[in-house]
Amino acid sequence: MTRLSDPKSYDYAPYQNRPKITWPGGARVAFWVAPNIEFYELAPPPSPTREVWYRPEPDIINYSMRDYGNRVGFHRMADVMAKYGVRGSVSLNVAVCDHFPEIIERCCELEWELFSHGVYNTRYLYNMTEDQQREIIRDCRDTILRASGQRLDGWLSPAISNGETTQDLLAEEGIKYTLDLFHDDQPMPVRTRSENRLVSVPYMMECNDVPVLNFKNISPRNYLQIIKDHFDQLYEEGADSGTVMCIPLHPYLIGQPHRLSILDEALAYVTKHDDVWLATGREIAAHFEAHHYDQFTDWMKPFNAEVGA
Amino acid sequence: MTVITKEYFDYPHRKKGLDHDRFERRYLRDLPQVDWRDGSKLKLWVTVKFEQFPMDMPAKPFVAPGGMDRPYPSVWDYSTRDYGNRVGAFRLFKVLDKYNIRATAAMNSAVAARYPYLLQEILRRNWDVAASGVDMGKLHHGDLDPASEAALVAEAFGTLRKLTGQSVTGWHSPAHSQSTQTPDLVAAQGGKYIADWINDDMPYAFRTSAGELTQMPLSWDLSDHKILFTQNMPIADYEWQINAAFDALLAEAKTRGARVLSLSLSPWIIAQPSRIRALDRLLARITATEGVTAATGEELRNDWLEMQAP
Repeated sequence: MTRLSDPKSYDYAPYQNRPKITWPGGARVAFWVAPNIEFYELAPPPSPTREVWYRPEPDIINYSMRDYGNRVGFHRMADVMAKYGVRGSVSLNVAVCDHFPEIIERCCELEWELFSHGVYNTRYLYNMTEDQQREIIRDCRDTILRASGQRLDGWLSPAISNGETTQDLLAEEGIKYTLDLFHDDQPMPVRTRSENRLVSVPYMMECNDVPVLNFKNISPRNYLQIIKDHFDQLYEEGADSGTVMCIPLHPYLIGQPHRLSILDEALAYVTKHDDVWLATGREIAAHFEAHHYDQFTDWMKPFNAEVGA
Repeated sequence: MTVITKEYFDYPHRKKGLDHDRFERRYLRDLPQVDWRDGSKLKLWVTVKFEQFPMDMPAKPFVAPGGMDRPYPSVWDYSTRDYGNRVGAFRLFKVLDKYNIRATAAMNSAVAARYPYLLQEILRRNWDVAASGVDMGKLHHGDLDPASEAALVAEAFGTLRKLTGQSVTGWHSPAHSQSTQTPDLVAAQGGKYIADWINDDMPYAFRTSAGELTQMPLSWDLSDHKILFTQNMPIADYEWQINAAFDALLAEAKTRGARVLSLSLSPWIIAQPSRIRALDRLLARITATEGVTAATGEELRNDWLEMQAP
């Protein structure tokens, strides 16, 4: 079986002389927060590609660490976000709608967007046929609609487990934006085999609490500094053309008492700036699609012409 | 190509609540707004881990955090950890005594058996001894055969009860690791609480085949081991995080009801000369704060159960 040498999901686009992105209200930065509300199963079915847990099952230290987010961390995180009028765009394992309906109710009360992060974070897209992936997408769409009345617009693959054609399937199934691509600081058209448009919205791993706090072992106060520095630069660049700043969060990490003040200070810092659009993923994608998608598509063509054509 | 079968789309536990039957779903914020029985808002629970890391500990199925890192015989790794039982512990006693804090001693039974003098120093202070397995090389995990595990739990409780004269009601599995039957075995041996799951900041009821246990919120993310050893952070970042946790939990305790600040300490880590003063400063601040009192694990469990009584 042949493998792809690149994802084939996007065209090249240098970060200079791009068409100017204008955000609502003339904002420089579209700022959004993406809480990952997840359910990891204690005894998931095995995946042919990836070991789910790190220790022999039951891996209770790792299972319970994540369960903390739903029992404790979520409400703390939501309280801080509400204090600053920041809505969440939830990267949702949709089974949470079934397991913890009270969490979904609170998200709806706060007018947060729900998008899909698969069914469980312990069920990967790896090794799935296209029809199987479509089944997952449809399950997510139906479950979110049933639990919240919302249309499913956004997608982050569960545990970021992609198939080769996942982005094509998302477009075909009517998903509006994807977060699986980490190639840019601005929204971009996604190249798919479908006629439907798919937008990639920046979802910033550099500011994601899991890689920062868990993988890189960066201290909370240095995490705060990363967020501020990241924002400062994007705010400056946003004077020329609108940028996007995302803070992806996990309530099991940021909702810990020794980290909660970081979120508070980060949101205080961002929201004290005038030219910030407090947006959701759906709003950013829709704005880009309506105002800039065609512009960018046309502008990018010369950079991607076949050599010799 | 390896295929995904239709069973991968079965979700047998996809319904309200958890995907196991050990406890009910509960949101911390829904707990009734009550204080601890002595009127305090926040309880400081200090747990000191007395650990024996055998130099010949097995590498499979996994090595406990803090386990031997270098090729056998790693005298470096071994003696660095054993430092805690001879030097670190006594430095720690001094600081905890200074603030009149009685701790829970989560002990590998091998430590109690090997170092009777150390055990007497713990007992002299009237600390609670909790069973923490036999040693750090004898892990409780899903691949362990049930009879061997039952023998380990019996040995840990039996040795510690005999040597301490205490009832030994608490259990902390080495490396926060359990098999599916560990809580059942603990309850069958007369244990009253476990402190292994890290999903809450307050105790909760935990079902076993031998009656109900209380699951106590022993910290791992906030432990000296995780922050200073696993994550290699400087002591200033440990101090910052304990202070932050204290502030957040105290604020929450005042508005939403009783909370626990759990300090999980390993003498071989926190009681190094370069670190112990940070702990001293933290305890000075915490114990001087109104509304905060210290308790052992068994005291906390008792208080918690009384608070649940109708």
